Amino acid sequence: MNSLKNIVFITALFLQTVAFGQSAKRTFCVKLVFHTMIGNQPLALDSNYTTLFGDTFSITKFKYYISHISFFTADGKEETITDNYFLIDEGDSSSKIITLQIATKAFTQLRFLIGVDSAKNVGGVQTGALDPANGMFWTWNSGYIMAKLEGKSPQSKAPFGNITYHVGGFSAKENVARVISLHVNQNMKSEININVDLNKWFNGPHPIKISNESFCMSSGKMAMEIADNYANMFSIKSISLP
Amino acid sequence: MKKLFAITIIALTIFAFIIPKTNKKVGTPVVFIIPQGWPTPAYNFDSNRLTKEGIALGRQLFYDGRLAKDGQTSCASCHQQSAAFATEDHNLSHGVDNQFTTRNAPSLANLAWQKNFHADGGIIHLDLQPLSPITAVNEMGEDINHVLQKLRTDSIYPKLFRAAFGSEMVNTQRMTRALSQFLLTMVSSNSRYDKMKRGEYAFNLPERLGYDIFQKKCTSCHVEPLFTDMQYRNNGLALEPVLKDFGRMRITRLASDSLKFRVPTLRNIAVSYPYMHDGRMNSLLDVLEHYKKQIIISATTDSLLLKKIPLSNFEKGQILAFLFTLTDSSFLKDPKFAAPPLVQVDYHHNRH
Repeated sequence: MNSLKNIVFITALFLQTVAFGQSAKRTFCVKLVFHTMIGNQPLALDSNYTTLFGDTFSITKFKYYISHISFFTADGKEETITDNYFLIDEGDSSSKIITLQIATKAFTQLRFLIGVDSAKNVGGVQTGALDPANGMFWTWNSGYIMAKLEGKSPQSKAPFGNITYHVGGFSAKENVARVISLHVNQNMKSEININVDLNKWFNGPHPIKISNESFCMSSGKMAMEIADNYANMFSIKSISLP
Repeated sequence: MKKLFAITIIALTIFAFIIPKTNKKVGTPVVFIIPQGWPTPAYNFDSNRLTKEGIALGRQLFYDGRLAKDGQTSCASCHQQSAAFATEDHNLSHGVDNQFTTRNAPSLANLAWQKNFHADGGIIHLDLQPLSPITAVNEMGEDINHVLQKLRTDSIYPKLFRAAFGSEMVNTQRMTRALSQFLLTMVSSNSRYDKMKRGEYAFNLPERLGYDIFQKKCTSCHVEPLFTDMQYRNNGLALEPVLKDFGRMRITRLASDSLKFRVPTLRNIAVSYPYMHDGRMNSLLDVLEHYKKQIIISATTDSLLLKKIPLSNFEKGQILAFLFTLTDSSFLKDPKFAAPPLVQVDYHHNRH
């Protein structure tokens, strides 16, 4: 009977190895939790806020891609989560938590891309978070909408007072993907809470006044300006230890 | 017991080798044949292996009106086999709800060699192409998720997806890859011109003279054997004031691309009328007359056309004789590309 037990054990071990493959090595669980903020207060969809330029606005939709997540140790070793793309959707709270199994126990820097690399933009139809059915793809001028902010503002000159910022572009000169680097001090993180401050969307290196610029629907200059702004949206809010 | 132990280990080892392979190789492989003397295709077949089942699914989807909002406007509505998969007679394509689109449906053939799609080149991968007509409000007017939902709840499609891809999962990638597989098989390489090239047919005098003139005056843009150089050029057409279609500039936002459109193939040109990106010309004689006399010179007009193309009436006749040799009647009648034998719209299922 002992050998029968052994067989069961080996079979189970085998199946586990097949099922988990390489990830069997990644044993530490880390969560990235994204908190959308307007300055110091959490964003509530459809509530009114004021930009630092005095424009009143409310947000109905806020979505963006996060990819190429890397963890760096103090001595510069890097662990990258490859081929994993996440669509953060303000309207879906479960999408705002990214749970990862990683091998790096102690890291001092977190890095990720807001957006989608050009390889996935030119590689045909993708699946999962990158499925064009998610409404984050321009079907008439191929490429991902890497970040999307929609809402209303009395200052908008667009029909219905809409504000519509669809930010995309992957060519060398018009690439709106931005690398975000965040320093984290403690070791052994289990949950990293990240603030995403929408004030920075409007107020950054390129001030966006809703009365002047209430929509962006292609790649190019304005998309690049917003990208430079949203590159500053992210900051560490808090870190929970296990 | 030791025996059982050993057998289990051996079985598991074999199992481990078989699993990944069977997952990869679903369906009956189909070899894509490159016609003799043609360039290497642009499409990456490694990412989407052609199979009999994948092609069959793509064909079913191509002819299925449920990909559109109204349940009737299929890809084939505007891409008709008898018109070389362009639309016979329509200058602008007709979309759902009695709408015009802004362009003439291009003929479809030899798409494996094409990198960008649409007259303005806005689509950069064949797999992405169907998403544009499916979602455009003035074409098929649908939502991708809704299309997928219709396919998932159908009585036949999940089985076709399993045959093609190994499981019943229906997603955008599988749908568009199947469509690509079908479209990729549409190779037109059996016209009288091709037979002449292969030594199976001798051009008659007008065809031969026409080919000579063509090689002197047309071939810089309409490069053999695909009869297009795939470049974007302003061929001196006036801007249509209602459509205001500036072509390539819409994609690149460069003033230097204003009024540029991709050079279309001339294969099957005799049956794919009307002509030009907006179908403004009804006959090939009108087209030749345009190049002879009507080219409008502007900042972006192609440098090869600045002096127009001198053509005598005799030469026009010979060129026409040559262009007619590009009609591939076996392609136009090939039952492989026709509507699939199964009724494409499953009305019976819908009634239940």
